[in-house]
Amino acid sequence: MTKVKICGLQEAEHAKAASAADAAGFVFAPSRRRVTVEQAARLAAELPESVVKIGVFVNAELDEVLEAVRKVPLTMVQLHGDETDEFIRSIPVEVIQAFSVRDIEDVKKLEQSIADYVLVDAPGIDFRGGSGRIFDWGLLKGASIDPERLIVAGGLDAVNVGQAIGSLAPYMVDVSSGVETEGKKDADKIKSFIKTVKGDSMQQATGTENVTGFFGRFGGQFVPETLMKAVKELEAAYAEAKDDADFQADYHKYLKEYVGREQPLTYAARLTEAWGGPKVYLKREDLNHTGAHKINNAIGQALLAIRMGKRKIVAETGAGQHGVATATICALLDLECVIFMGEEDIRRQQLNVFRMKLLGAKVESVTKGSATLKDAVNEALRYWVTNVEDTHYLIGSALGPHPFPTMVRDFQSVIGRETRGQILGKEGRLPDVILACVGGGSNAIGMFHPFVGDESVRLIGVEAAGEGVDTARHAATLTKGTEGVLHGAYMKLLQDENGQVQEAHSISAGLDYPGVGPEHVHLEDIGRVEYKAVTDEEALASVITLSRLEGIIPALESAHAVAEAEKTAAAMGSDEILIICVSGRGDKDMATYAEKLEGLA
Amino acid sequence: MKRLKDLKDNGDKAFVAYIMAGDGGLDKLRGQVEYLQKTGVTAIEIGIPFSDPVADGPVIEEAGNRALAEGVTLDKVLLEMKSWDFKIKIPLIVMTYLNPVISYGAERFAESCREAGVSAVIIPDLPFEHQQLVGPYLKKTGVTLIQLVTLTTTENRLEDILDAAEGFVYAVTVTGITGVRDEMTQEVQEFMKTVRSKSPVPVYAGFGISKTEHIEMLRDDVDGFIVGSAIVKAFHDNKIEDIDPLIHAVTQRNPV
Ligand SMILES: Cc1ncc(COP(=O)(O)O)c(C=O)c1O
Repeated sequence: MTKVKICGLQEAEHAKAASAADAAGFVFAPSRRRVTVEQAARLAAELPESVVKIGVFVNAELDEVLEAVRKVPLTMVQLHGDETDEFIRSIPVEVIQAFSVRDIEDVKKLEQSIADYVLVDAPGIDFRGGSGRIFDWGLLKGASIDPERLIVAGGLDAVNVGQAIGSLAPYMVDVSSGVETEGKKDADKIKSFIKTVKGDSMQQATGTENVTGFFGRFGGQFVPETLMKAVKELEAAYAEAKDDADFQADYHKYLKEYVGREQPLTYAARLTEAWGGPKVYLKREDLNHTGAHKINNAIGQALLAIRMGKRKIVAETGAGQHGVATATICALLDLECVIFMGEEDIRRQQLNVFRMKLLGAKVESVTKGSATLKDAVNEALRYWVTNVEDTHYLIGSALGPHPFPTMVRDFQSVIGRETRGQILGKEGRLPDVILACVGGGSNAIGMFHPFVGDESVRLIGVEAAGEGVDTARHAATLTKGTEGVLHGAYMKLLQDENGQVQEAHSISAGLDYPGVGPEHVHLEDIGRVEYKAVTDEEALASVITLSRLEGIIPALESAHAVAEAEKTAAAMGSDEILIICVSGRGDKDMATYAEKLEGLA
Repeated sequence: MKRLKDLKDNGDKAFVAYIMAGDGGLDKLRGQVEYLQKTGVTAIEIGIPFSDPVADGPVIEEAGNRALAEGVTLDKVLLEMKSWDFKIKIPLIVMTYLNPVISYGAERFAESCREAGVSAVIIPDLPFEHQQLVGPYLKKTGVTLIQLVTLTTTENRLEDILDAAEGFVYAVTVTGITGVRDEMTQEVQEFMKTVRSKSPVPVYAGFGISKTEHIEMLRDDVDGFIVGSAIVKAFHDNKIEDIDPLIHAVTQRNPV
């Protein structure tokens, strides 16, 4: 996600407001925002460790720069003058070189920079750098500059920043005058700018969970004592990895180079027309390598397992998408891999079973209970209890004991973060409605999380109603379930009056689970997210709709979100925007489609 | 539960038998308890069947499934126990997963346990950190919540858990689930020594204990043994007499 730099801080109050940003800038060059090294040091002390502290200089002496680096201390230096390459090389921290871009010649200069990052700005008037004028983004379109090195400045504010992100996808956006009122920084504007770019950053940092892993009343660590050590170790390891820039960089590298992110937010013109309501956009998780969102999480957890010195992975799978994602990443990273899968799911997801085997994973068939996802989780947990010292349990949804629900959400939040930047870029505003299907809840929480703080955005989770929520054969946990403990978390369950967990039913193996992640239960509890249920039949109808209108054959799970979107769209106007998370593609469901939708083709 | 302390003070070893309530029908439970009491076990753990027993191996899981098929519930087991009119001379302990307790209501559960003559409760998926969910209610009705420690319990946790222990400590002998095992490792012996040196209450070893060799190996380092799968299996196979030597190996003062 695009990072935010708040530049030209002078007051402690504003530094505090900027503490949710990624970077803070202190201007040491002549300017009305100029600070001394001592002032900057005091301001830096107000900021969290994780915020990058950047000193801004124009043709300063090297000693002056080095002194500031040492005393503030600065973690980056930004140069706006005519500094030489040699000067840049003498600076012991990362360097941003700034360029005022008027024309194509300026773009050429910028392309040659040896600095770690390049900052583009509109030409200054009163002093070099920080002009506050809007820079012509079009000039950069053809430039051969890696967006991962690009920082955009110049006249940004909460209103236009979305467009900058949308058209340039820069590493960071830099704002100064855009968060000022009458020439002074404005704490409210700083916060609102950060929120526009990153979502509610308090939510970003900590989500809705508290330190003990509860989301309101839900969550916790309800596991046998044998697992407590592993769960606590994981908690500590994740807390550390989460804030480690190298870990994050590694994870994002795999997302980009291996999974193929970022995924498009596709405008669905024919669906929009057919439904006659809002503009419909599709978040294309179906385009991920292996065919669904599951791999976003599998990569993150596999990297974490390696970091913890564990090279054996156990996982459960329902539809087989998580199993395939896990087997894939284990092949890539040379990890040993055991996947538990219900016998019933093995039957309906043959293709994925073979994919897992081809990838070198061991697939264990679970014949107990309903022989579906719940039973596969039970067996995976038993296997983990027995092999806990050298094995990581790579859970596939936002379920299980803390830290799993938080961690899985964080790894899946790339979905919502990308979507946020993309819709801001395309429409210059946030959407009105976002829908995602909910099995355990990982694609939905990943999509919703960056929007939870935006009250104007209606969030709808879609469960499986199977043969109908008033029959005994459904998987609508939030609609029909009651509170209880399963698989390590206090959440909502389908259970009888004696606390025995019931079998779920859905035509879609990935939604066929009688529990739902604790954060969803909390978001329902506080009224932030609505949960609806869609039947097997409605989902199948939507498979046809999406296939015929948009040329996208969705996974059965994702088709549930499409079906509910159609209902939601009926009550919306043409000036509104609706986004559907297409969590996966339908390849794995072809046998079911061939059987159920026969005669159509 | 004071008896358990006395037993330890006398240098005797305890034998705790686990049975699955309602395996073969709930009407069997009474006879099983009477039989075990007569055979000389120290205490009996009565297991409540649960749909998702993740801490259990196949023997107990299957017994639980049979009991569930018989319609056995936590409520029915407690009512059955409440109705018993024979003399119960040994502690009865209920072992249940957390979800049936939550569904029943923790406060009501504590009350019903007292009425049913239950001395203690074991909840394997209720870790020390979350015991406030049930613990305070049990305390009010005088029912002990048994603490579990395992080979993976870290040192700090061990101290905290043992600090809170009452009745006895359930020391899990395997890194794994319940079920019959062939081998017990050397590591287990060291672990038992550590736990016992720190525990204010008797330490009983459980999970996988099924052979007299296990008992001989650990005898000097624990205050008692909990035997589950072997007994559940024996009852199911109608061969409960086969367990007698195991019981005697524990309860006889000088085993041959
Ligand atoms: C394509 C797809 N979507 C959604 C899901 C449901 O999982 P979750 O609710 O964790 O996103 C699955 C699970 O297998 C899936 O394969």
